[in-house]
Amino acid sequence: MSESYESLRALLSDAGYDFVEPPIVQDAGVFVELAGEDLRRRLFLTSAADGRELALRPDYTIPVCLGHLATGPAKRRANYAYLGPVFRQRRDEPGEFLQAGVESLGRTDRQAADADILKLALDATRLLGVKKPSVRIGDSGLFAAMLDALEIGSAWRTRLARTFGDAPRLRALIDRANGKAEPAPLPDRKAARAKAEQLLAASGLGVIGGRTADEIADRVVEKAAIAAGIGERPARILEKYLAIKGDPKAALSAVKALARQSRLDIGAAVEQFAARNEAFTGHGIDLKQLSFAADFGRRLDYYTGFVFEMHKAIGAKQIVGGGRYDRLLGMMAERGKGRSPAIPAVGFAIWLDRIGARR
Amino acid sequence: MSALVIAVPSKGRLQENSQAVFARVGLGIVQSGSDRRYRGRIAGMAGVEIAYMSAPEIAREIAAGAVHLGITGRDQIEETIPDAAAKVDYVRALGFGQCDVVVAVPEAWIDVATMEDLDDVAAGFRPHHGRRLTVATKYINLTRRFFAGHGIADYRIVESLGATEGAPATGAADLIVDITTTGSTLRANGLKVLDDGVILKSEAHLVASRVAKWDARQSKALDVVSRHFKAAD
Repeated sequence: MSESYESLRALLSDAGYDFVEPPIVQDAGVFVELAGEDLRRRLFLTSAADGRELALRPDYTIPVCLGHLATGPAKRRANYAYLGPVFRQRRDEPGEFLQAGVESLGRTDRQAADADILKLALDATRLLGVKKPSVRIGDSGLFAAMLDALEIGSAWRTRLARTFGDAPRLRALIDRANGKAEPAPLPDRKAARAKAEQLLAASGLGVIGGRTADEIADRVVEKAAIAAGIGERPARILEKYLAIKGDPKAALSAVKALARQSRLDIGAAVEQFAARNEAFTGHGIDLKQLSFAADFGRRLDYYTGFVFEMHKAIGAKQIVGGGRYDRLLGMMAERGKGRSPAIPAVGFAIWLDRIGARR
Repeated sequence: MSALVIAVPSKGRLQENSQAVFARVGLGIVQSGSDRRYRGRIAGMAGVEIAYMSAPEIAREIAAGAVHLGITGRDQIEETIPDAAAKVDYVRALGFGQCDVVVAVPEAWIDVATMEDLDDVAAGFRPHHGRRLTVATKYINLTRRFFAGHGIADYRIVESLGATEGAPATGAADLIVDITTTGSTLRANGLKVLDDGVILKSEAHLVASRVAKWDARQSKALDVVSRHFKAAD
């Protein structure tokens, strides 16, 4: 069915995306730095003559973004499309498979860009013969707004934020954060720092660029805050929030009601959510076709907002994954150091092998 | 019909201990003639062949079904074979080679006592240092599984081929996953084991391959070997 791939290419090109073909053999370190050790076991690895670790590209997003950074300023607008093989160790599927997708970089009208991406993904899957996919959507920006509005202290805030996307673990974490709130004695930062410094010096670790005595002392103080928990009320509100699900219109009402009831100011995030819903409707997407879950997200720290997944049927393997990753380009450009600036980026990838369309 | 193949460690204390355990139950291992470094037999017992291999190799051969029985540590089995339960039967513990596979961090990390602390440190590490927290180990799969089980994602493994405990002091990695028996080597290197950082309690085991071909003669030979062990209990 080479026609369907040709028409897919035409669809993506006509939508304004330029096809790129980054090298298949990539520096493995980039993937492990950005996506974590857990990805490494899924990489096909080899090494260069000089000992560098190389990998067959496991996806297009990171190589496409590397190409973007290598060819001009990070913040410029660009639209990339791709169709070709990617390589991952998978248990009961072939290690080499075809993906197609797009990356839309630099658009500051984020909600409109999110909607354009979902629309294009729906058009692409329809073209490939999937008429009524089940579409799950989520929004980690909304969760972040909840954490801000509840004024959760930084130690718990980062714990909760990084666990978002792993629903059972997040619930267990909130359970543990709940209620304790008995004030712990404030630790003596100065003494902690002196102790850490002395031990670092004794083991010769002081000079090699690992954790410093200051970092260790800061965290000794932070641990006291963690022991205190977040309090019962914020925990209960978070649990209520995470239980919200339904089509995005109904979900929006539920989120608004919860915010009103609990007197939380999450206005900006709610407005963005509403604007995105409107943009969906503007594209002729039936909101009833989408199912939002407040606890749905992707556990990669460069995903920052809207995320979605498509399945042929509920419970079947994912055929499309997409979302907003405003933190990735900044992390790559700054080599992860410091707070990277947000650079708008949103895209999707289609598992062509799982759709069953053949070349 | 061919022989029952038992893989036995080819060197060091593991070999001596294996030899001694077999001798104690009345199975004397004899290294055999031509290629005596790699093959042997059991005195007075036909249909059994001894193959000498390194400990990781034994685990691999058991998983591949290339040998029927083997002597190797639980750490090797669990590290080398992804679905160990489906492929390996732990026939019996042999009472030697005890060690723990542990997560150990610098003693100077006075704020880190548990895996949860380590998760916080791992997540906050990159913004400070521009790189991920690194773990030196030769137990790559055990480490990945254990860290994933604790929800830790923000780290990377640096494969270590020896003297892992020295990695933090040389700057090769921030912490380690390694085996320890008494903890004294770790302490000498300024490291401490996390409270919930024991990944695995290991010991040398006689293991059987569930995927090897077992014909009647080989099964019978296994019975004879097992009877010797039972009789000595």
